[in-house]
Amino acid sequence: MQDISRKLRKEALYLSHRCGDGNLQSVFSCIDIVWVLYDKVMNWSPEKARDDNRDFFIISKGQATLALYPVLIEKGMFDEKEVAREIGNFNSRYCIQTDLTKFQGGIENNAGSLGHGLPFAVGVAYANKIKHSQSLVYVLCGDGEFCEGTMWESCIFSSARHLDNLCIIIDDNDSVGAMVEMGDMQQKLQAFGFDVLKVNGHNLIELEETFMKLKTQKSGRPRAIIAKTKRGYGSQTMEQNDIWFHKSPNEVELSILQKEIDEF
Amino acid sequence: MRRAFLNRIAEMIRNEEDTVFFTVDIGMWAIRDELMEYPDRCVNVGIYEDGMFSIAAGMASRGLVPTLFGIQPYLIERTLEQIKMDLAYQKLGVNIVGTGAAVDYSKYGYSHYCAEDVQIIKMIPGCEFVAPGTAKQFLQLFNESYRDGHPTFFRVSDHPNTKYDVDVEFGKANVIQTGNKGTVIAVSVMLDAVMEACNGKDVTVIYYTTLEPFDRKTLAENCSSSKLLIVEPEFEGSLLYDVHKAFPSAELQIDSIAFPREIFRNYGTYDEKMAYYGLTKDVICKKADEFFEIG
Repeated sequence: MQDISRKLRKEALYLSHRCGDGNLQSVFSCIDIVWVLYDKVMNWSPEKARDDNRDFFIISKGQATLALYPVLIEKGMFDEKEVAREIGNFNSRYCIQTDLTKFQGGIENNAGSLGHGLPFAVGVAYANKIKHSQSLVYVLCGDGEFCEGTMWESCIFSSARHLDNLCIIIDDNDSVGAMVEMGDMQQKLQAFGFDVLKVNGHNLIELEETFMKLKTQKSGRPRAIIAKTKRGYGSQTMEQNDIWFHKSPNEVELSILQKEIDEF
Repeated sequence: MRRAFLNRIAEMIRNEEDTVFFTVDIGMWAIRDELMEYPDRCVNVGIYEDGMFSIAAGMASRGLVPTLFGIQPYLIERTLEQIKMDLAYQKLGVNIVGTGAAVDYSKYGYSHYCAEDVQIIKMIPGCEFVAPGTAKQFLQLFNESYRDGHPTFFRVSDHPNTKYDVDVEFGKANVIQTGNKGTVIAVSVMLDAVMEACNGKDVTVIYYTTLEPFDRKTLAENCSSSKLLIVEPEFEGSLLYDVHKAFPSAELQIDSIAFPREIFRNYGTYDEKMAYYGLTKDVICKKADEFFEIG
């Protein structure tokens, strides 16, 4: 694991500790994906956060918002001390899920209910087509989220409207496997008219190469990346113990888990 | 009213580049030319209201002005979380125009009824609800509010008023007549029946076409007694919260003529239903006489 992956995980851990809440397993499974998008792939910077031609990152699996804040802190959009001081507090801007109405740039949607971020992202991508904007839209979804009907409604629309400016990233951390047998997601998405690639969701170089490959591909079809990930990746305790699906670390746990991340 | 809306939306598609119109497979004949000529902004989107609402929210976040057209229960009841999360929570302006007011699709059954509509929408802060009584009023209210940045729901009835067609303003009630014995609140398509029943009676009649936000001021300033009779073409009690809020700490006597809160299983025609549930001139007249102690 690269140093930046460790740093981001430790920041997420600390924010979860500060606010006394969070879904860290889910955060750790997707935080590398979010980092690569902001650092290597998207046309985005804090200075461009309100630019009409910026690329968009929509978080559909809102339970992983604690993966987004550390990335935006690292990129200089948010102040680390401010987020750590205010997260989850009464009247804070920093909700455990995102609230775009409290920001002038940096947060693109309100998350929380599953099955909303993808169709919202589709609307943004469709608007970009109508406006003849070159902006690309990246939307991070959970594999379990694909049980929601709106996800497939969005796929129908994206394909019918040739939204090649849309890229769905599925954080495939095998959440859905605990619920239902979904079958082959790659085949399903291809049948819905998507170009689909698979990638190791914890390998920063592979992630970057895959995103760039899809970005330069001109097929006229919407894109999807199935990122194979592990819940809690970066901490053995979290990988092995599902209590960390929804738990924040206390002082002692924070110290143990930070050490684990350093040694991972 | 439906035709007036479709003509207006066709005009908007042609003249306003930020207008996007999604229909859930209804009304296509009226806009067949626009569907062909503006395939990106005039779309028969398919039958999925939930996803369509979120997609519209995404478009609104990019500065477009989406208008959605469908059947009232599917636009309001199926999509409740989309209204809450994608429109209200994110403060995004989308226009939602629904046919099938209350029991307009009288023979189709409960699936197509939506007497709950206004009360559901009133429970989600930031949403607006408009119930015009005529086609002219639809256009007046739509033109005033369709760019106001709120989720705005327009209830399009197939049984408009034909005699009383006053000019209306968004967010404002109209005082149709004044009297001393009490006040009748006439909502939307009930104005004709209310006026046929109350014309010449010593009662105030106040006409509402914007139900959210509710014009409490006009009500508070024009009631000459504590007696109010609400005549509303939706579930009984849908406006009670607002009426009480108009008179803080006052003792009121309120009665209503409206649809009872039950699942309607009697089908038949619209007129049969209105007669069965007492939303008629004769019932309003009798109840007004008794309630206001007239004659």
